[in-house]
Amino acid sequence: MAASGLQDIKRRIKSVTSIEHITNAMKLVSAAKFRRAKATFENTQEYFHYVTESIDDIFNNVDEVPDKYLAGSREIKRTCYIPVTSNRGLAGSFNSNVIKETEQLMREDAEKPALACVGTRGRDYFAKRGYEILMDYHNPPEDVSFVETGDISKPIIARYDEKEIDRVVLVYTTFVSALEQRVTTKTLLPFEAKKNPDAVRINKQVEYEPGPEAVFNYLVPKYVEIMIYGAIVESATCEHAARRMAMENATDNARGMISDLGLFYNRARQAAITKEITEIVSGSEAQNG
Amino acid sequence: MAKTFPLEIFTPERLFYWGDAELVICRTLSGEEGFMADHCWGCKLLDIGELWFRENDQKEYKLAAVSGGYIDIRDRILVFTDAAEWPEEIVTDRANEAVHRAEDWLAQHGIEDRDPDETAQHLRARKRAQNRLAVAAGGVKPRR
Repeated sequence: MAASGLQDIKRRIKSVTSIEHITNAMKLVSAAKFRRAKATFENTQEYFHYVTESIDDIFNNVDEVPDKYLAGSREIKRTCYIPVTSNRGLAGSFNSNVIKETEQLMREDAEKPALACVGTRGRDYFAKRGYEILMDYHNPPEDVSFVETGDISKPIIARYDEKEIDRVVLVYTTFVSALEQRVTTKTLLPFEAKKNPDAVRINKQVEYEPGPEAVFNYLVPKYVEIMIYGAIVESATCEHAARRMAMENATDNARGMISDLGLFYNRARQAAITKEITEIVSGSEAQNG
Repeated sequence: MAKTFPLEIFTPERLFYWGDAELVICRTLSGEEGFMADHCWGCKLLDIGELWFRENDQKEYKLAAVSGGYIDIRDRILVFTDAAEWPEEIVTDRANEAVHRAEDWLAQHGIEDRDPDETAQHLRARKRAQNRLAVAAGGVKPRR
């Protein structure tokens, strides 16, 4: 009996050790991928503000801006959510956080929401629950290019133009640090812009070509495209950071388990030895007696 | 020596170029235009085309392929484009392939039964690829 108990513990130690090897390897892989993703992310993040600055400039300097993309231009009936998830699991609560946040937002809507899912995890979840998915995008986010993300952002803008959807909300994970990622929501359309009374009006003639409306109508969708691209890149960085953390915890837990099991094993072995000695001693005493 | 201005060319993915330049020539929606320091400010949309610029005290122009975007002209000049490439970065085989792909599609679909969006997409793809080929070959009309 005691011997088979020892065997069981030994077998468990072996299996936990191999799990520990796997999670440790995944941790190293994620750490490497995270470093690469972070470099891309930092590159992209630097230049976003130029486009928003240009939009603000036009907004503050031109009296007649077209209101198609502006808040308050039409009643908001249908919202399109863009949850940015990953294509793979084992990243802790990374995907479920985004999904939960999206569901929370959708519950507050009166009209049936539409979804444009980035990543297979979110798509599978929402498809299973019968939500309407307008489109999905699931290329690996590691080496995504801006032109590729146009596949998802352009149709969304087209649907907004056709008044099929009246609001576009992005739900994605923002990078705070390697240890902390936060789910954030951002309304991309309609564009929230307020005339800033403090903004200095440029006392110069500024030529807009073909015209201020055309430039404005180019810049706002471009802003949406850039934001979606940025969210995918940022989210990829967070995915790797989250997976690294999850795998680190798993490795730590596996190591803890191995040491506990080792203790158990030694204790069981000692108990078996003690038992055997007792048996021998009591056997010989019975003979002598 | 002409007066210079800071020039920045960036795409959503990277800062493509920054430095001091004397002159930038690019293709706006209404045709080729050159920009120098201390001129009228503006914000103009760009077409797919070549972008030439001359750096401070250089005789040679630098050439890049850009696809759309806008140019913001102030005391500094800012070019934002979806994609920018130096001639040496362009893979001509891939560009050739893209031209063929677009032309095949256009040949297969009659003018009547084409979807206007898809047609525009293929025409744009062809234009982009042709532009890249032209840039790889040193520009349609070399400048010096």
